[in-house]
Amino acid sequence: MSADPGRASLDARALAWLRESPGSWRCDEARFAALALDLFSFQFEHCAPYRRFCERRGRTPERVAQWREIPAVPAGAFKEMALRSFPAEREAHLFRTSGTTSERRGALHLDTLELYEASLLASFMRGVLPDLAPGGRARIRVLTPSPREAPDSSLSHMFGVVLHKLGDAASGFDVQGGALQVDELVIALEKATADGVSVALCGTAFAFVHLLEAFAERDVRIPLPPGSRVMETGGFKGRAREMPRGALYLGIEHALAVAPERIVNQYGMTELGSQFYDSVLCDPSRARRKFAPPWTRVRLIDPETGEDARPGAPGIVTIIDLANTGSVLAIQTADLGRAIEDGFEVIGRELGAEARGCSIAADEMLAR
Amino acid sequence: MSAAQLRGALARLRDIGRILRERRAADVHAALADVLDAWCAPASPWQSALADALPAVSGFSAEMVREGLARGLAPYTGSALHALVRDELGGPERQDATRGPRVTGFASAATVLAGAIPLPTFVAISAPLALRTPVLVKPSMHDPVSAALFARSLAARDPLLGACVEIASFDRDDAASLAALCEAECVVATGSDVAVAAIGRCFEASRAHSASAPRRFVGYGHRSSLAMLGLGATRGDALATTAAAIALDVALWDQLGCLSPLAVHVVGADRGAAGRVAEALADALAAAEERWPRGDIGPAVAAAIAHERAEAEMRDATVFASRGTEWSVVCEANAQRRSAPLHRFVRVQPSTSVEACLAALRPRGGQLAAVALAGFGAETAEIGAALAELGASRVCAPGALQSPPLGWPRDNLRVLLPLARFGEVECE
Repeated sequence: MSADPGRASLDARALAWLRESPGSWRCDEARFAALALDLFSFQFEHCAPYRRFCERRGRTPERVAQWREIPAVPAGAFKEMALRSFPAEREAHLFRTSGTTSERRGALHLDTLELYEASLLASFMRGVLPDLAPGGRARIRVLTPSPREAPDSSLSHMFGVVLHKLGDAASGFDVQGGALQVDELVIALEKATADGVSVALCGTAFAFVHLLEAFAERDVRIPLPPGSRVMETGGFKGRAREMPRGALYLGIEHALAVAPERIVNQYGMTELGSQFYDSVLCDPSRARRKFAPPWTRVRLIDPETGEDARPGAPGIVTIIDLANTGSVLAIQTADLGRAIEDGFEVIGRELGAEARGCSIAADEMLAR
Repeated sequence: MSAAQLRGALARLRDIGRILRERRAADVHAALADVLDAWCAPASPWQSALADALPAVSGFSAEMVREGLARGLAPYTGSALHALVRDELGGPERQDATRGPRVTGFASAATVLAGAIPLPTFVAISAPLALRTPVLVKPSMHDPVSAALFARSLAARDPLLGACVEIASFDRDDAASLAALCEAECVVATGSDVAVAAIGRCFEASRAHSASAPRRFVGYGHRSSLAMLGLGATRGDALATTAAAIALDVALWDQLGCLSPLAVHVVGADRGAAGRVAEALADALAAAEERWPRGDIGPAVAAAIAHERAEAEMRDATVFASRGTEWSVVCEANAQRRSAPLHRFVRVQPSTSVEACLAALRPRGGQLAAVALAGFGAETAEIGAALAELGASRVCAPGALQSPPLGWPRDNLRVLLPLARFGEVECE
């Protein structure tokens, strides 16, 4: 926990919530509102760039009475400045957003990993391993570099924690030196199949494209045991190849015999302390949607009005995350989303994003 | 249109092209000039028909389209075409010459258009025809009307010229149709760098199958424009006038064209100048919105604008903006390159000196289309030359960006020369 007494008290309240069993999750509006407003007051006081941003909008702690009024920082700001609510000398960990070397990368500065890890574990268990018995361990193979290889990757860190806390002895990472270790992965998956142990195969969408290509080249199919599942995350921005999600899921089903309804997409960002998983495994009888952990709220904001989008209409995904005690709790992403039942779906930036100019490329609109 | 239909269209065009080349070049130019004059006239029924049709398919507002067409077509006169032929080809007689220097086109041309701005369509069709090259046109999905209407106006004046233009519509992911289109002897592509490169590769692949005929690929890729103001344009009456002119350049075609300024660079040692320009530009854009409302945008574009505004606020930049996303002016602290959400989103960026400004622009010189220049007094010509050296194909006054002359060397290429083949018949 943070060394700052004020923060330590907020961290303790948040941690207590994050550590509650995912099976007992329920929406507690009063608890969320109280902690959100207290956290906002603290961050307003301790994070100077955020304070200036809020003051420009006339949103000071005295004037903000509801959590919905807390100003959300654009995710791009993490590329411009250090948004930390603690003294720089207390920084214990730094995660960076992905990007090329020529591109400015965003950074999440942390003085403690406790909340980050508590949040990721609870959400992963709920989204990917809802059937795991208490204290149980699962066979988890991960298509990303390990935290040792990519120490500033929040995704690698997340999987490192997941493997440490939830993986069995045959779990591990399958990317080394930037390359998918196809032979080792095939051996691991074949062993799981031979043993009849279901597998949770996790990685970036782009890594799965590589995996499918490698399997196709080798003419390999490994039907994973019943109960297996796939978790994929991330998009294709900046990648030379893209694959629509539907095609990716069909390819996974063909190569691994994991049906699309057992493939979970995770929506996460380096700048956030929490992640959002598809509901297909924890609530399979209802529509696929992303569910928010109870210590988060997802607002879909109409970019024209700055207010909540109409039900079903696209809006900017804006997240209030009480696990973000060390940075800023309210973040406006660059993604569009749409509400589905009690959750949401991310629809990316596609709608209307194409330039109508005579020679201005659509990707230039978003390029930095 | 299927690949087979496209090949059929190209075969028809090659046949009709033989008949066209039997005509004197001067007669072809005269007919083309008449058509251009019919379009650029203030009461042109053709222009009016396009102004009526374009908003519904492009998403642009009717008021803006009318203004943009009137200003954009004004320089596209018949006499401008004759001058272009003289300047670039040495006159029509060279096209008919049997000895000495002579110039000719290709058996057929195909042109791939992009975006919803109609003005490049007129040049894309007129240029090959001036060289007596029939042309297959693939319009952009955002503007399916301009090419067809221009072809109709050609047919109304001269049925043979009208028959020398065919419109080819097919899905941009239809690789077979694109390959068929790329069998034209000359292919001209406009679009993003990625799209142009892909069409270029397709053209190269088709070259292997028809190596005997003279062939050529011409690509027009991504470009953007900007304004550069000296302190003379940032004070007094000049400030409001300049701001109004830049607002016009931004508002026309909703800042989506390669001639639309994305940023205004304010040069000089006056620390308040950029702020004054930003404020005046905000007033001018608000006024422009009243006269020429911005067109429809999707939620993703609106989100990008909202995001950019919020990011600017975070780094303490001053943001002037409409209540919705109609227009935005961000006064930045420096000339650092930043993203461009377009749709009337302008950054005002200070530089302490001309040298500092040019240094900031240098890395993007290869993508520079035009620069609107004002407020530099006696230094104007020298700075204009430096910008041209940097890569700008056009340096003009604010307010003139969206009215380029017919002979504007877009992407530093002449208009007719890339489509021409030159020869010298030395023997008697």
